[in-house]
Amino acid sequence: MTAIHLENLSKSFGAFTALKGMNLDIADGEFVALLGPSGCGKSTTMNMISGLLEPSEGSIRFGERDMRGVPMGRRGVGFVFQNYAIFTHMSVYDNLAYGLKATGVAKAERDRRVKDMAEFLHLTPMLNKPSAGLSVNILQRLAIGRSAIMEPAIFLLDEPLSNVDAAFRAVMRTELKHLQRQFRQTMVYVTHDQLEAMTMADRIAVMDHGKLLQVGTPIDVYNNPSNVFVAGFLGSPGMNLLKGMIVRTDLGMRADLGDAGLSAPLSSAQEKSVSDGQAIVYGFRPEHCQLTGDDGIRLPVTFVERIGARTILHLGNKGASIKGVFDNDVVARSGEIVTLSIDHANIRLFDAGSGDAIVEAR
Amino acid sequence: MTVAALDTRTEAMEHEDARDSRKLGFWLTLPAQLLVLFIAVFPILMQVYISLTDWSPLDGIDWWQAHQLWNTFANYTDLLEDNRFWSALGRTALVMAICVPCEFLLGLGLAILFVDNFPGRRFLYSVLLVPMMVVPAVAGYMFFMLFQSGGPVNDILSFFTGSPVRIAWLSDPDLALFAVIVSDIWQWTPLMFLILLAGLVGVPEDQLRAATLLGASWTTRFITIVLPRMKTIIIIALAIRVIENFKVFDNFYIMTGGGPGVATETISIYIYKVTQQELIWGYVAAVALVILITLSVVSAYAIKRMSRSRELSR
Repeated sequence: MTAIHLENLSKSFGAFTALKGMNLDIADGEFVALLGPSGCGKSTTMNMISGLLEPSEGSIRFGERDMRGVPMGRRGVGFVFQNYAIFTHMSVYDNLAYGLKATGVAKAERDRRVKDMAEFLHLTPMLNKPSAGLSVNILQRLAIGRSAIMEPAIFLLDEPLSNVDAAFRAVMRTELKHLQRQFRQTMVYVTHDQLEAMTMADRIAVMDHGKLLQVGTPIDVYNNPSNVFVAGFLGSPGMNLLKGMIVRTDLGMRADLGDAGLSAPLSSAQEKSVSDGQAIVYGFRPEHCQLTGDDGIRLPVTFVERIGARTILHLGNKGASIKGVFDNDVVARSGEIVTLSIDHANIRLFDAGSGDAIVEAR
Repeated sequence: MTVAALDTRTEAMEHEDARDSRKLGFWLTLPAQLLVLFIAVFPILMQVYISLTDWSPLDGIDWWQAHQLWNTFANYTDLLEDNRFWSALGRTALVMAICVPCEFLLGLGLAILFVDNFPGRRFLYSVLLVPMMVVPAVAGYMFFMLFQSGGPVNDILSFFTGSPVRIAWLSDPDLALFAVIVSDIWQWTPLMFLILLAGLVGVPEDQLRAATLLGASWTTRFITIVLPRMKTIIIIALAIRVIENFKVFDNFYIMTGGGPGVATETISIYIYKVTQQELIWGYVAAVALVILITLSVVSAYAIKRMSRSRELSR
């Protein structure tokens, strides 16, 4: 078990910069998810931690040890590949024993450790079966076991659930989280699926375009996104983001949201942190809006999506398009104009220029 | 059509369908089957027939009248006592035992070098494939010139030893065999290289990385991941070369004509000489038939092994 420290980590491939200036400290035994869309630099980061790629700049330390120049076989890193990379021409036993054999562990010791690991991962009944043709959840356990048997300090998982169907993914998520708790190992998990990151990770690191945007606990990142990208990326559907401008009215500062009309007056804390005429992005979660007869954002309903437990209303027109999540018995029809009220506490303001969250003055 | 309607199909209907498609298959493959009959089955039957007689084109009777010269299995019993045949067969096996492993190891080595990118790779790759595209007879003539006692090989040796070398490569029995083997290796290593490179490229990158991360050295990875993954393709490459090498003729014949004496006489050269120079066709038919059967049995065994290994690696 080891802490990982990434300091000012950068990687360029020729003129293309895949990652720039990443700083991240991962504590011993922590489960951190690197979350972001394709090409955000998360896999590059992981490959540098594993030693497949050397950083262009910056340093990687495991605990106090600088990893520069340490070949990947000697880093003590367990790696679970997207497709598991099981040696399909070998039996389950041989897969588990591979690393021990390659590093010259004596036969008796090897046999004992393979049996223990198989017992632990419920693989004992298929130890002597060929590994080709096993089901995906067994392959996943085998891939984890094969790495874990080497007692690596760090576990890296590269989108291990991306080629599993949605229903099964939920099962595997739970299983994976259980395993991590039992191993108590530092784990870095790369994914583009925000649900996986939210449900499993102790902390999430959201990345985009080679930059680390925000690090925090899932709830913290979800509730207080540091910029518009994080706000829109997390949550399904993501946060509603309406472009607008701050205007001063008799009732206090409000946001002029164009086609959606004027927002309700801002809270006093928010008022203090914005100025009249400032271009902003007005954000709130779809599940935080209520239908109201009072003052608020007025938008037409374009589509009613009933998903069972909830009903999602698609609202707006070309200028402003948002979604609202309501109870499944909500009364609404396409074409109808509705008014939304959003609690002050749930409104997030972002600067339209930089995209960064506007921190409320206290 | 509903799903329920599909479910009402009976076993009898399916049976009928299968019979229909078999019938269609028969008619579609009939032209090809007739062709095979004329180019393979008919000549083989003719060969079996002639091999049981003493017929020769010099006898003045047509081949279908060869039964007048019927000798039952005399050709086959003669074969058992034909020392020249057995030594040609042994020599062919010797050539194969040297050429195929050399071609395999050289091809594998080159494939390992070429699997990673390096400057000039594409150019060298094309150059390496050239020998394979040279007509074997031309290659034979090329090596015939190279190995002349006043030829480039001796010139190069003279340069390195500092004294004039005049080795008569193609007239010394041992050296002649060496020279023809060199020409075969030169010509066919590229094919081995090409097939093995294709196999090497097909080894999953992820598995190699996984093995590296588990602490496996290059050698361990090569033995435990690369070779087992390439097993099928290695067997195919070896099978192709063994069969081809068994039939080797062109460059050997042009370089030495099977000589000096019979020092480089392989089975194909032997058959050619007996056919063209001694004209005892009934006997030749028997020899060729024995070789055909031997080779078929060996390749059938190889193919069986091949499909078994594929089942295992799936």
